[in-house]
Amino acid sequence: MDNREARFILSAYRPGGQDAADPQFYEALAQARRDPLLERWFNDSVAFDRTVTEKLSAVEVPAGLRESILAGGKVSRPSPWTKPFVRWAIAAALVLAAIAGSLVLREAAKPRLAAWQTNALSQVSALVEGESKFDAQSHNAGSLVAWLHANRASAAQKLPQNLERLESLGCKTFFWQGQPVSVICFQRTDGGLIHLVMTNASAPFNQAGKSETKFVRQGNWATATWRDGTTVYMLALEGPPDQLRSYLL
Amino acid sequence: MSAIDFQQLVDQHYVPLFRFGLTLAKSEAEAADLTQQTFFLWALKGHQLRDRTKAKSWLFTTLYREFLNRRRHEVRFPHVELEELSEDDMSISPNMNEVDSAAVVEALRDLEEPFRAVLALFYLEQFSYQEMADALEIPIGTVMSRLSRGKAQLRQRLVSKEEAAARKIIPIAEEKGTSSHG
Repeated sequence: MDNREARFILSAYRPGGQDAADPQFYEALAQARRDPLLERWFNDSVAFDRTVTEKLSAVEVPAGLRESILAGGKVSRPSPWTKPFVRWAIAAALVLAAIAGSLVLREAAKPRLAAWQTNALSQVSALVEGESKFDAQSHNAGSLVAWLHANRASAAQKLPQNLERLESLGCKTFFWQGQPVSVICFQRTDGGLIHLVMTNASAPFNQAGKSETKFVRQGNWATATWRDGTTVYMLALEGPPDQLRSYLL
Repeated sequence: MSAIDFQQLVDQHYVPLFRFGLTLAKSEAEAADLTQQTFFLWALKGHQLRDRTKAKSWLFTTLYREFLNRRRHEVRFPHVELEELSEDDMSISPNMNEVDSAAVVEALRDLEEPFRAVLALFYLEQFSYQEMADALEIPIGTVMSRLSRGKAQLRQRLVSKEEAAARKIIPIAEEKGTSSHG
């Protein structure tokens, strides 16, 4: 084995020493022990690899990513219909629901947010709590819309009129199952915040197919969702729904 | 898989998966989406994996495939020529004390995709050559070749960035304005 061959093989040698007992490396390691130049190259290579590993291990993950993944997993897991115990348990639950009657029906009829909207609120919360940062900041919402267009992100052609009057704070873009989503945050005149989430009106966002506005309350969030042309909007604030309606006029 | 099992799997692997995605993708947002999509697919199909010890490999393979699927319609997979290594390639040494994490990620992203994937798995997760071959579905010899060439290119990129920072490169637009006559 010559040094070139030895280097080729030793390039795959992991800096943590896990490969010391791998026969694939025996001959190359022996060559390195015999040849001081090769040994020096090998030691330098291992040191470089160790440093790169350390540097990459310091890369931080975006805030809210874990929560987004868990939320997505919750809505994605297949239903365990095949397990007999579960079928029995579900049947029993249905019987109880039928006995309870009106309460169950009322609960099922409550509108709920889609997974992408829950994810968007999670992203907004991370921004509000300072766990993540805006991609662009400006007090002029028009500039943020222009920035989103320039960066090929989902954006309104025109903002709702009552939002244009507010001072914007910044915008952020992210993806949900491959679909681009954008959010612009605004400062309300009462000091609170209000957020406009935008995405393209294509599958799997078919819930927003109608143009009428759908109001949903989730936790502390009041949301309003509608579609206008090819863009789906969700306006959200932490507070009562009535406060939200005033921005939709 | 129960919610608790899913959460444990996420907690165990989402950070390294994101970092792997970051070396492949064009942006942090895309890397996050690749990571989410991978766990989304696990939630749908992971129960089909009989050997749970292979979950890590499954996740990395899936993320890589998702990345390739997205790129399929964008860029043809570049043909990588296995050039002879020169002594110079192997001896370039960037000053790693002057290099931060962001510079390393950027240097990795500058490399051609085949090199990025093997280097990311090697450095992030300490994958063995066999594990990389399995995850990326390529022969062991190809893994070793890409590691060898990729590391040399990574060193060159890091040195270039060091040198560029030291020279304080003037943007081209400004240079045109100061070009000499005649």
